[in-house]
Amino acid sequence: MQITTFPHPAEEAIELKLTGRFDAHESEIFRIALTDALGNGNHHIRVNLANVEFVDSTALAELVRGMKRCREARGDLTLVSPSDPVRVILELTKLDAAFSIV
Amino acid sequence: MTSTDSPLESLTGALIEANDQLLALYELAKVSTSSLDVHASVGEILSRAKRLLDAESMLLFAEDGLILGEESDVASAGDRSIDDVRGGTTRTLTASTTASVQASNSSGLQATLIARRADRPFGTADHKLLSAVANMALGALHTSRLHQEAVDQAVVSRDHDTASELAVGALPKWRPDVPGFDLFARSDPARSAGGDLFTFAYVEEVLHFVVGDVSGKGLPAAMMMTNVISAAMAAFQTVGTSGPAAVVSAIDSWVYEYLSDAGLFVTLVGGSFDPASGVLRLANAGHSPVLFVRDGSADLVDASVPPIGVLPFEMLGEDALTESVYETTPGDRLIVSSDGFTEQENPSGEMLGDDEFARLICEDPGPTDDLGSRLFTMLERHADTAEQSDDRTLLILGVSATPKATDS
Repeated sequence: MQITTFPHPAEEAIELKLTGRFDAHESEIFRIALTDALGNGNHHIRVNLANVEFVDSTALAELVRGMKRCREARGDLTLVSPSDPVRVILELTKLDAAFSIV
Repeated sequence: MTSTDSPLESLTGALIEANDQLLALYELAKVSTSSLDVHASVGEILSRAKRLLDAESMLLFAEDGLILGEESDVASAGDRSIDDVRGGTTRTLTASTTASVQASNSSGLQATLIARRADRPFGTADHKLLSAVANMALGALHTSRLHQEAVDQAVVSRDHDTASELAVGALPKWRPDVPGFDLFARSDPARSAGGDLFTFAYVEEVLHFVVGDVSGKGLPAAMMMTNVISAAMAAFQTVGTSGPAAVVSAIDSWVYEYLSDAGLFVTLVGGSFDPASGVLRLANAGHSPVLFVRDGSADLVDASVPPIGVLPFEMLGEDALTESVYETTPGDRLIVSSDGFTEQENPSGEMLGDDEFARLICEDPGPTDDLGSRLFTMLERHADTAEQSDDRTLLILGVSATPKATDS
């Protein structure tokens, strides 16, 4: 999985754009990227999932953990444009009710 | 004559000296280092070397402060550092009666050998032999440490295996033998233990059950799994008669913070089946797939709330967790599996998939046990040489008889 980090132009947020499979093997690099983004003092994180072809339960747990970290810091973690396979999993697990999704 | 004899004597002396060194090395090589105790093995080498070199004391100082040698030498060194020992001997003896030799190996292990004589200095040949002694002692030290690491790893591995066995032991081995339904339940962890779970209880002639999947893998997930099972067993007994939504809510209230603090969640479906009335009730917190099969057609039983550990249920609203209720007839089946079943890849990287899983279930009207075993066999055939990527759990509840009449 590749992660590209950049400031979101329209909002005061950092966007992490993920590409590839997001599973247990990739959760560590996501955690590091998120920690780096939060370390800069910005607690509004956008995770772009448009190019993610698969997420497993470990990856979902990593997103939930990230969401809680952001909300504890009075920010939020927003899921952006989840791909069809990711959207299906979010709906099946009802996690779409827990995340902000745009 | 003296001038012509001198080179011959020198040559003879050198040959004798070289021969003595070879004999000394031979003697050292015979030292048995069969003991893996570092004090015994290095102590034996240094003890033999002391006698061969006619040394008064000989000590090996490892980098981590460990001092090795004969017991009396180590005792006399006490808590002194290598510099204290080296300096102390220099103060009381001439420098040439004290020899200090460094040794290192390809693994980066280093040590210093310090030997001293009471009466005569160490010569060049002695230094070569001391260097050989230092390297032999370092080799024994290295072997002993590798052995200790292997022992430590074996202890950790044994503890891990024991913990895994305890975790897996939390899954029930018995199956209810009650007229009106058949139950197949099996969980194969990807490692020695995993986060998938199922458990059930037959309370007041009603079957209560849960099937779940703790996020993550291995022993951490398994430890959380045992907590969820304990909570479920308590909930069956305390609030089971109120239905599966009450059971799942009770589990959430007991394990939410534990899961949340650990950064984990558990997808969980709770259910109850009353063989007398044939009513099946389900409450689903983020678990998939859950399929109700009737007449060869499968309906997906949707989750009404996210998995436990994501958000406290009270934040989702009082009635967020709803129940799906089915009036069953003979031949109906409930199929609950974990994602390790449907997401298992074949060697080409293709997952089994929800559709294929549903097709396999719907085309097989055979006995519940046969279907369960066949699904595991088919999954293994699909995986072929591909590694088991996640825990695999399957629970099948088959309605096997007409519900008993409750009124005459």
